[in-house]
Formats: sequence, C-alpha cells, structure tokens
Amino acid sequence: MANIAYSQRSSTFKRVAVYITGRLVMMFATVVIGVFLTILIANMGGYVDEIQRGIIREDVSQAANQNLSLRSLTSEERMHWVNEQIILREKQLGLDKPFMVRAVKFMKDALTLNLGRAQRMTSDKGSQMVRDIILERLPPTLILFGISGLLLFVVEIWIALGLSRHYGGFWDKLFVFLAPASTSPAWFYGIFLILIFAAMLGILPFGGMMDAPVPDNWVDYTLSLLRHMILPLVAVTLSQIFLNTYNWRTFFLIYSNEDYVEMAKAKGLPSRVIEREYIMRPTLPTIITSFALTLIGLWQGFIIMETVFNWPGMGRAYFQAVQFFDVPVIVGMTVINAYMLAITMFILDFIYAILDPRVQVANQGGNQ
Amino acid sequence: MSRKLITFFSLLVVTVLVLAACQGPATAPQATALPGAPEPTTPAPSNTLPTEVPDTGRMGGWLDTLVFTSIDQIADAVTQLKADALDIYPFGSENSDAFQTTASDPNLAYTVAIGNAVDGFMFNPAGPTFTDGRLNPFSNPKVREAINWLIDRNYVAQEAIGALGQPQTVVIVSTFPDYVRYADIIRPLEVKYSYNLEKAKAAISTEMEAMGATMGSDGKWQFNGEPVVLIGLIRSEDARTFMGNYLSDQLENIGFTVDRQVRTRTELSPIWGRSIPENGEWHFYTGGWGYNSIARNSSNLFDGYYTPRAGSTTAEQGYVVSPEFDQLAMDLANNKYSDMNERREMFARALELSLQESQIVWVAGVNQFYPRNANLQVSSDMVAGVAQSSLYPYTLRWIDQEGGTARLANQGILTGAWNPVSGQNWVQEVVVQKATVDDGVLADPYTGLYWPQRIERAEVTTVEGLPMTKTLDWVDLQFTSEIVVPADAWADWDAAKQEFILASEKYPSGATALTKITVYYPSDLWNVKWHDGSNISVGDFVNNIIRLFDRAKPESAIFDEAAVPTYESMMTYFKGVKIVSTDPLIIETYVDTYDLDAEVLIGQNAFGTWFPTNRTNAWSSFSWHSFVPGYLAEENRELSFSEEKSTSLNVNWTHYIDGPSLEILKKYLDQAEKDTYIPYSPTLSQFITPDEAGQRYGNLQAWYAKHNHFWIGTGPYYLDQVNSVEGSIVTRHFADFPDPANKWDRFGEPMLPVLDAAGPAKVSSGKEATFDVLVSYKDAPYPSSYLDSIPFLLYDAEGTLVDKGTAEFVTEGQYAIQLTADMTAKLKEGTAQLEIIAVSNVISVPVFTRVTFVVGQ
Repeated sequence: MANIAYSQRSSTFKRVAVYITGRLVMMFATVVIGVFLTILIANMGGYVDEIQRGIIREDVSQAANQNLSLRSLTSEERMHWVNEQIILREKQLGLDKPFMVRAVKFMKDALTLNLGRAQRMTSDKGSQMVRDIILERLPPTLILFGISGLLLFVVEIWIALGLSRHYGGFWDKLFVFLAPASTSPAWFYGIFLILIFAAMLGILPFGGMMDAPVPDNWVDYTLSLLRHMILPLVAVTLSQIFLNTYNWRTFFLIYSNEDYVEMAKAKGLPSRVIEREYIMRPTLPTIITSFALTLIGLWQGFIIMETVFNWPGMGRAYFQAVQFFDVPVIVGMTVINAYMLAITMFILDFIYAILDPRVQVANQGGNQ
Repeated sequence: MSRKLITFFSLLVVTVLVLAACQGPATAPQATALPGAPEPTTPAPSNTLPTEVPDTGRMGGWLDTLVFTSIDQIADAVTQLKADALDIYPFGSENSDAFQTTASDPNLAYTVAIGNAVDGFMFNPAGPTFTDGRLNPFSNPKVREAINWLIDRNYVAQEAIGALGQPQTVVIVSTFPDYVRYADIIRPLEVKYSYNLEKAKAAISTEMEAMGATMGSDGKWQFNGEPVVLIGLIRSEDARTFMGNYLSDQLENIGFTVDRQVRTRTELSPIWGRSIPENGEWHFYTGGWGYNSIARNSSNLFDGYYTPRAGSTTAEQGYVVSPEFDQLAMDLANNKYSDMNERREMFARALELSLQESQIVWVAGVNQFYPRNANLQVSSDMVAGVAQSSLYPYTLRWIDQEGGTARLANQGILTGAWNPVSGQNWVQEVVVQKATVDDGVLADPYTGLYWPQRIERAEVTTVEGLPMTKTLDWVDLQFTSEIVVPADAWADWDAAKQEFILASEKYPSGATALTKITVYYPSDLWNVKWHDGSNISVGDFVNNIIRLFDRAKPESAIFDEAAVPTYESMMTYFKGVKIVSTDPLIIETYVDTYDLDAEVLIGQNAFGTWFPTNRTNAWSSFSWHSFVPGYLAEENRELSFSEEKSTSLNVNWTHYIDGPSLEILKKYLDQAEKDTYIPYSPTLSQFITPDEAGQRYGNLQAWYAKHNHFWIGTGPYYLDQVNSVEGSIVTRHFADFPDPANKWDRFGEPMLPVLDAAGPAKVSSGKEATFDVLVSYKDAPYPSSYLDSIPFLLYDAEGTLVDKGTAEFVTEGQYAIQLTADMTAKLKEGTAQLEIIAVSNVISVPVFTRVTFVVGQ
C-alpha cells in the first residue's frame, strides 16, 4: 500500500513538475515575444532613430541661434560647433550604433531586469536610472489608485452582494439606472470636478498631490495629501462604481439562481451561510482573477487621469516617456508589467486548484 | 463582524476625506503693507504707470517667498489665476482664448513679448526636377519670391493667431534695433511684397511655363502629362495648421494640386530635416523659429536663415543661394564691414536678395502673453518675456507692499539635474535658478543693452575702424591703433600642471587683439555673501576662469568631451585675461571679437565680467567651495557634471539639490573639509588660504545640514525647499543681498510711446506742407530725452517711397514734419501716405502711425 501511495504521490509530483515547467517556459516565451514587440513598436521598427536625428538637428540649430556666446563666432566656426553638438547628442542617445544592435541589448537588459538608464527623462530627484524613475513614481500611483482600486473593489462586491439579495429593490434599480454613467472615463469626471470644486467653489485644489510649500509636520502633510486625493478619488469612483457593481450584482444573481443555492434555501440555511458558502465560494476564482488583474493594472497608473490631476505617478511617467521616445523607460515599465502579469497568471493557476476542486493537473499534462 | 468592519472603514475614510476638505484651500501668507501706504483697493490694469517706488530699507528681493509649481497648459494656468490659486505664469503663450480670458478679467494683468516666435514657409530647394522626374516649382527662386505676393500676411496673422499675431515680411523682427535702424529700407520692401494675388499668379505662370509646365483644361498645372502635386508638410500643433492650409488653398487657386500632410513635429521632422531633397518627399514646410533675447545686432540673421550654413537639416544644407547673397550673408555674419554706412548698404542689398530668393518666406510674428495677478508687478523682456527676463526676480513684487509670497507655475518642474557646471538649462529650471543667482551685469528688458549690477564700470578699447558704439554712461569706449596682449596675461590652461599658460608662452612672438575689456568692481565687492554666509573672494573669480578651460583638456581630472566644442569655439577669439588688481578687483580681457554695442560685448559673453555666474549652461552661481564636492565626485567617477559624460560613465548626472547625488556630494564635502582641500592648488593656492577653505567648507556643511542641498548663489532669493515628488520648489528672501529692493524698479513697465499725427487733408504738389506729431505716454508728453528720433517716410499714391526725413522738435511731446516743396513735387496725384515712426532709446519697439492726404495741383 505504501508503495502504491508513494507511486501515486511521485506520479502527481511529476505531473505537477512537468506542468509547472511547461507553464514557465510558455510564459517566459510570451514575455520574450511581448518585450521584443514592445522594443520594435516603441522604436517604430527603427524609425524612431530618424525622428531622433531630425529633432536633434532642429534643436541644435535652434540652440545655436539662441546661444549668445556663439554670436562671436564666424559662420564656419558656428557650423563646426553645430556639427560637433549633433555628433555628441547622437552618441549620447546611442544613435551611433545600428538599431538592431541596440534592440538586442535592450532585450537582454530587459529580460535580466537590468533596466539601465533613461535617454532623456530623469527622475524628479535627478536620477537617470530607469529603476529610480519607476520607484519614484510608483508610490504616488499606489497611494491614489491603490486606495481607490482596492477600496472600490471591496465596496463594489459588498454593494453587489447586497443588491443581489434585494433584487428589484430601490437601490438595485438606482444602480441599474446609473450604470451607463460609468461609460465616461474618470478623467472626464475629473475635469468637471476640478471646474466645480477648484475653479468655481475654490474649496479643493486643482491638482498635484501636496500643497506648496509642503507642510512641515506629518499631520498637515497627511491632511494635505488627502485633500488632494479627494477629487481624483471621486472621479475614479464615479467612473467605475455603478457599472462594476452592476456587473458583479448580475454575476452574483446568476449564481444565486443555481439549483444548489435553491436547495440550500429550501434546507433553511441562513442567508449569510448561503452567501458565503454557496455563492461566494464558487465565484471566488473569478473574483480573485479580477482582483489580481486590478492590482496589476494599478501599477501602470492612469495616463490621462494623472495628467488631468497633475498627479506625479506612473501614468504620467509613461506619457512623458512616449513623448520623449524614451525607449528604455517604456521598455522598463512594460517588462515589469509583463513579468508581473506572467507571475500572476502562474500563481492564479495554483489558486484555482486550491479554491476549486474540479481544477486539477490532468494525466496527459495540461489542466482541466 | 466583517460587515461592521467594512462599514466602519468606509465611514472612517469618508470622514477623513471630509475633514481634509474642510482644511480649506492653500493660501499665500499675507504680505505686509508698507507703513503709510494705502491698501490696494482696485487692481491695476496692465497699462497703468509703474507704481512710484517708495524708499525702502529692504534689501534683496521684494518678496519673502517664491513658490514654484508645475502647470503644463496656459489655459489651466489662467483658470487657476482667475481662481486665485496662482499669482503668475511666467511662460508665454499665443493661445488667443486664454489671452482673451486674461484681458477681459480686471483681476488679471499681463505683459506681451513681441515677436519671440516667427512662423514662415521653408521650401525644398532641389530641382528643377526630382530624381523621379517630378517638377519642383520651388527650385525656382522667382516662384518662391512670388509666394510673398500669394499670401495675405495680415489675414493669416489675424485669423491664425488673433490679437497676438503680426505680419512679418523680412527676417528682422520689429523689436530688434536693426529694424528701426533700417526702417526706411524695410518698410518699402514690406509694401512691395504685400499681398497681390494677380501679380503672384502672373509671376508663377510665367516661371511654370518656362520650366516646361502647362496649364491643363481642368485649370491644373501639368508637367510631362502629370498634374503638378505639391506636398505640403503642415504642423498640426499650433497656428501653423491654419497657415499651411491657407497656402495650400492659395496654391490650389492658381492651379496646383496640394497633398496636405498635417502632422506633428516628430512626424514631420524626419521628412523635411532628414530626407534627401532630391527625392522630393516634400515641397514646403510650415516652420517656426524662436528668439530668447533682443538681438542688438541682426547681421548674422541672413547667414543663419537663408544659406546652407543655417543649420544641419538636409533642407537647410540643400539651400541654393546666389553667390552674391551667399558672400553678403557670410560677410555680414562675420561683421566684415568698415563702418555703419557700409553695413547699411550691405543690409539693404541682403534684404532685397533675401526676398528675391526667398529660401524662407516669413508670414507672421507671434507675440506671447504672460498672465499674472493684477496686483503683482514684474518687468518682462520685450522679446523673452518674464521667464527669461534677467530682472524678473529683482522686480517681482506686490504693488505697494513689501514681502509676501508669490506663487509661480512652470511648464514642468525639475526636468533635469542642477549643478554649477553643466546642469539642466531648460527654461523651466532657469526661471527658478535665476532667482538664486546674481551677475556682473544685467540685461535691459526693453533695449537689450546691459546695466551694471555687481561691477562698477567698464572700459572697452577697440581697434580703430571697427563700428562699435556705446550708449550708456557706465561704459567708456576708446579706439586705438593696436591692442597688444600683455605677456603675463593668462591665455590658456595647462590641465596637467594646473597652471595658466601665459600669453608669452602661447604666443612667443607676441599677440594682439581686436578688443580689450577692463571691468572695475567696487571696493565693497568682497562684502557680497554667498547664501551659506561665505564672503565672495577672488578665488571664485579665478576658479570661474579655470572652468572655461579645464574640462575641455584631456589631462583634466574632469575632462569631458562635451565641453570641447564650446572651448574650441571660445579659443577662436579669446586671447588672454589678466587680473590687474584684486582690491578693488580689476580684470582685463583681450579678445578677437567685437560687437556693435560695447555694453552687449560685455554682457553677452562669458568673458565679459568674469563674475562667477555660469550662464552658458544652467543659470548657476559658481562658488569654488560648492564646486569642490562635484569636482571630487567626478574625479572619482561617481557622478558627472554633464549629461553626456554621465551617460558614457553610466553614473548619475550631478544633481546639487536632490536625489542620490546628495549622499555622494556630502561624502566628498566631508573629505574636502577634512583635508582643507583647495582645488587646482598650484594656481588657486595663490588666491585661497587654508583658513578661507576651512571656513567655507564649514559654512557649506551648516548650509547642507539646514537645507539638505548644495545650491548656493548670491542672488536675491535662496533655495529653501525642494519637493521633488510633490512637485514644488520654494525660494526665500536673502536678507544679506547687497542692493536695496527698489534698485531695478524703474524697469517695472516699458515706456511705449503713443504717437499721433495730424495735418492738412489736401496737399498741393510742389508746395510746402506741415504735419504735427504728438508723442505721449499716459497722456503726458513723452520726454524728449527718451526719444532717439522721429523719422518719417513719404509714399506716393502707388505706394512707392519717394522721400524720407526726420520730424523736428517743437516742444516736449510735440514735433513737426515739414514737407518741402521738393518733397511734395515728387508726389503724383492721388492719395499719398506719410508714415511716422517714434524711435525710443528706452525701448526697442518702434511705434508707427500713418497719415493719408490727397495730393492735387
């Protein structure tokens, strides 16, 4: 018996190991392809080099016209200065090397998480390391969108459960009625909220994350931060809560009508037990997947929202990187996102197996 | 339980948010009213007289605090100004909606910078045919010239830019002194090249037929059986979209087919700037150019815009220029004229040729406005506006008040590293840095001349025959037959020995220079303090001189190839510098260059006064002791002053005010303090004592402990807070600044004259006529001492310039123009025009007025 049990355990372990290895290889291949495509797209297949060269020439010519000290030079000396500046700037951006050589280096660095240095951007603290730029912008994004994302997620599910229990009631009808309001993006609400509460009423700030000068004690600092978070939080809430709640409520309603739920009700089980054991439990994989993807989404920030509210987060950094054609920053942010997505998917496979006994690694590999 | 928790948590969050909202908006601290001064009741509109500046015991800047934040868009800035959430937006814009909003709000004021951007058309010069056989009409200079008649500049300026636009026909901007100097040449050209569709059509038709094109039955030009399709590259971001579409419409009206490619700068740049012109990827491009100061000498503009030396784009490199114009442009750029008369003749011909060949057709000058709270006063440069005005930190003040806070917003903030050698020099940074630095001389925002700030006076000696002049009393200009560079002048730098190379060593057979500048500093110069409390010393000046050489030398510990081009450029004219006396400080500089204005020669160049302010990169002060930590960090390859070298070393760009650089800089400050380190010791030890070194490092340590950065200057404000992530910078009043706060307040507002003229409605040909001219400012006579002259131009009924002259002084504010019998005899019957120009010597903008009258027998 012990041998059979050992053999079964060994077989299971082997199947899991093969499965894990296969998944890891597949996900790594996906990441590699994704990152390489990002490099190609961010560089427009190498055309960005031409754009950069054109802009450098334009900028240097303009700088030469505006540089007062060059007015003491003859026109030939001025041209000499211009040409030397162009060579220096092209070298600084790596344009003295062929695109494919740089693309391979980008790829290698990205996959090894050596994010390198930005070409044009610096962090607010003056560092050119992509790592520093990302690490600096991450906390503001997490503070604002982490709070709003997590809070909304919990609140939406909480309200949705309530609505599903009181299907057809006043609040249910109200949320159904307001659901289309969430088709407008958060920045759209943001603009109106700024106009009303900052421009007209003057009771809340236009944007940014802190008063200037920055308060010198933590109480005022925290209050100032919260004050600056109000409008973006409200904007995000208005743009998401109705539709998401409506979706979750519909989702729960579907599960609420399953036969086993009806059976539980017929058995006279308390509604909280039914909710927790018969509705929430089977919907957990979906909820957790949604939660995990929400977490990953938070990391990228919200480009337009952060721009509207002048919020110094990841979204604005992304926007600036695209504006500057700062490929290392774009690739750096993308590769981290790709890794996080891959790792999340990988972990979710196990969570599904734990939460749902129907999910298991099949004998032929692959999962069911 | 969990439901209660969630409910509680939700209520807690809502409560906190509500409480936070109740905190109320951030308000600026209230300014202190001057004793006896009335409280401001009504905001001052933009065109009021400068407030009379009371005597004050206050030193340095008028304000207590300047708070800089970031707002990207002018529309947002104006909204915040209206809501009193912002006090001034020092970045200009031509956005007409935002301008109208500002202009219509009595609580807001604004200044306008004239012509700091200029829009026009660039043309692909290749041809007459491209490599694939297509015709390029713009290869023909006569077609390009005809474009001047094809476009209605007044219409484009008004429709595309609105109130902030003005037509522009020639390369010289109307705020530049050369425009006024040569107005009698320029104005007739502007008339000649004004809108005339029929003339344009006829000229282009003639040339098209000469090039082998035919007009098809459909009214479209054809070449070799194919329609002539012109590819127009039209910028999509600003008024140039309208401009490009307008030209396209006009070209289509006369038979061309236009392929309009309306795209952004980054999309179009590779096409016009990098493609081979002969491949014909484009025909015309809507270009834009900018100026950051009043150009007192415009003679380099022809070379800098119309010739292959204009720039390094393939479009500019491909310019085809007639040999005469090419030589003329180069000679003007190199100031090769013996006197102002010859220069005038050269300008006249160059202006004529520039329109005949029209490598660029100018369309509109773009004025920009700078909005602010109406109770705030500031001097704004006529061309560069507020952000780049040298005087803005000295003049920014609440009207009738001392102290207080001003909230300024930048278009972005902390965009790069700050350091005293080669830091970020974007205007977003410069506007803050300028508040923290002082200089030897400061630019007059209205004339482009320079005024002494830290220096007392200067002498300029130049060789006879050079057309140099001077305007202001602080400069003494002399002419001599020869200027010999003294043997003991410092002519270069030996980075290995860390010693200056003397003129006698660099030029064994002796050297001469075209110009010698001698600057005299006042005897109390050494009382000037750096923000950390150290007194400025001669070591700062000598270290500043070394800075211009050392980094370009391969033997230097901080060699940087990025510094080489600037050094090489400087060495083409630099001959030597000599410290004649250290108390008071007197410095002689010998150079092989000159300028039309002696004041500009001193103010515009790094060698002018040698005051330790670095204006070539970041606007930074250059104290030798704050330079040391960065020097040692670069020597040890942990940081680098320049962005280029930091990239090649893969280290951080030295940042004196925040980030990972601070820890490294602190480490080297500790080391320097411990070793009582004197940089470039073989030389600077002659000027810096170990006691001074120890004291200075101690001061900097205390400064760093208090402010957490290494940025010190001698300016009217010191850098107090750097809030990188929160996005704000705070500077505060520097009480030890040596000058009173009202020193520069006479530049609060430009004295732009108002010109009125009246005369007879009818003039008989061959008979004398008199016209009265009134010049005023705020309804008071314009002081004659501020007026340079009042020239007039006389046009006949066909718009031809027939004569010119100057109005005569009658009494203060009143002048008379006497048209002699000879003058009126030149006028044909019809409606003639008298154009009168007021030329002030305190503001470079000329003011025009016109009087029409009927000419009869």
